[in-house]
Amino acid sequence: MTAPALAPEMAVEEHTAAFRAHIEAGGQVEATDWLPDEYRRRLLRFIEMHANSEIMGALPERDWIAKAPSLKRKLGLTAKIQDEVGHAQLIYRVAEDLGKPREQMFADLIGGKSKFHNVFHYPTQSWGDVGAISWLVDGAAILSQSGLLRCSYAPYARIMKRICWEEAVHLKHGEDICLTLAGGTPLQRAMLQEAIDRWWEPLMMFHGPPTPPEKDGDLAWRIKAKPNEELRQEFLDRYVPQMREIGLSIPDPACRKDAEMGRWQYTEPDWAKLAQIGNGAGPASAQRLAFRRLSYDEGAWLRAALLGEAAPAA
Amino acid sequence: MAVFEVFSQQDPGGPYVHAGSVVAPDITLAGQYARNSFSRREDAFRLWIVPREAIHEEADLDLLRPPGDHRYRLGRYYRANVEKRKRLKTRVAEAAAEGRLA
Ligand SMILES: [Fe+2]
Ligand SMILES: [Fe+2]
Repeated sequence: MTAPALAPEMAVEEHTAAFRAHIEAGGQVEATDWLPDEYRRRLLRFIEMHANSEIMGALPERDWIAKAPSLKRKLGLTAKIQDEVGHAQLIYRVAEDLGKPREQMFADLIGGKSKFHNVFHYPTQSWGDVGAISWLVDGAAILSQSGLLRCSYAPYARIMKRICWEEAVHLKHGEDICLTLAGGTPLQRAMLQEAIDRWWEPLMMFHGPPTPPEKDGDLAWRIKAKPNEELRQEFLDRYVPQMREIGLSIPDPACRKDAEMGRWQYTEPDWAKLAQIGNGAGPASAQRLAFRRLSYDEGAWLRAALLGEAAPAA
Repeated sequence: MAVFEVFSQQDPGGPYVHAGSVVAPDITLAGQYARNSFSRREDAFRLWIVPREAIHEEADLDLLRPPGDHRYRLGRYYRANVEKRKRLKTRVAEAAAEGRLA
């Protein structure tokens, strides 16, 4: 089933309805197909934020390349950070095809006009944080990203295969760091537990507020596959037992699985705080954006040279 | 006449895989030949037709397979995680049974 072709006699509303039916029936569309404005707008917003998150996601861990405890860890961490920047490249390309130039997306990102994911607004305080990010933040991301493998926009779904595969390597790299710390000296174990204590709240906010599925337009257009709360439940299901069995404790006394309902209970995160962080009021937001701006400015001469233009004035 | 390479998508949303090539005077006829050669049984969901001269091959093995050990980029490099987790799990469980920290 291909996307309904644009017949000249059809009104836009009629064509949009046919398109919507195609999507709802599980259909996918390609970059060259006609897309309704609302679909294009939603897709672009979603994909642009994903691309922003990948490139900003390289920053929390980059501070630790020079401080990695061994050559093996340095190589693993460098490879992961390269991958995240590579993910941004793939995803910005998909977003560009939807009509927004990359320069504009970058200008909006470093100008604080567009968003990136809440987890990248926090500082990375110890090597324990590096492990916790790579294991659990990437673990949370894999859950939402694997839903994108079925995205109604096929070019996005296709690149997600490669991305998910690479995220799975990041997860193992992070799990290895955490297992090593959890099996190490009391100081190492404390370092990991402190990291978990710091990252628990951002992790619980990771998948967003429990928006009722019927009110989530991204679900209706099949941009994403699963409601936010569903993803959080999956995260808790998979990772809470894995954390506990290696001796970590969950820094939320209310966190437990209700056997009758088969659902996880937890202390409701402060969703207003999540919104503020997303708008750039997180503890490391300004510093991260300043760094991104700096490296963008420092690369200006190279971009100009590649385009055969005169170097911008310093 | 020119050579056109044909890429076929087997399933909706799936990857476009190289199917073969056709020779044709222009892109329109190339499309028809491609359909006749590669999708007589509706076996292609969509077809991409690309002039061969537009394809650039990157085949430098020193770049594609750089020398050096890059196993740390693969998931199986971390295979020992399973064993590590098992040992740690036992240690934590034993400590809990004895009412002390692992
Ligand atoms: Fe990534
Ligand atoms: Fe990752």
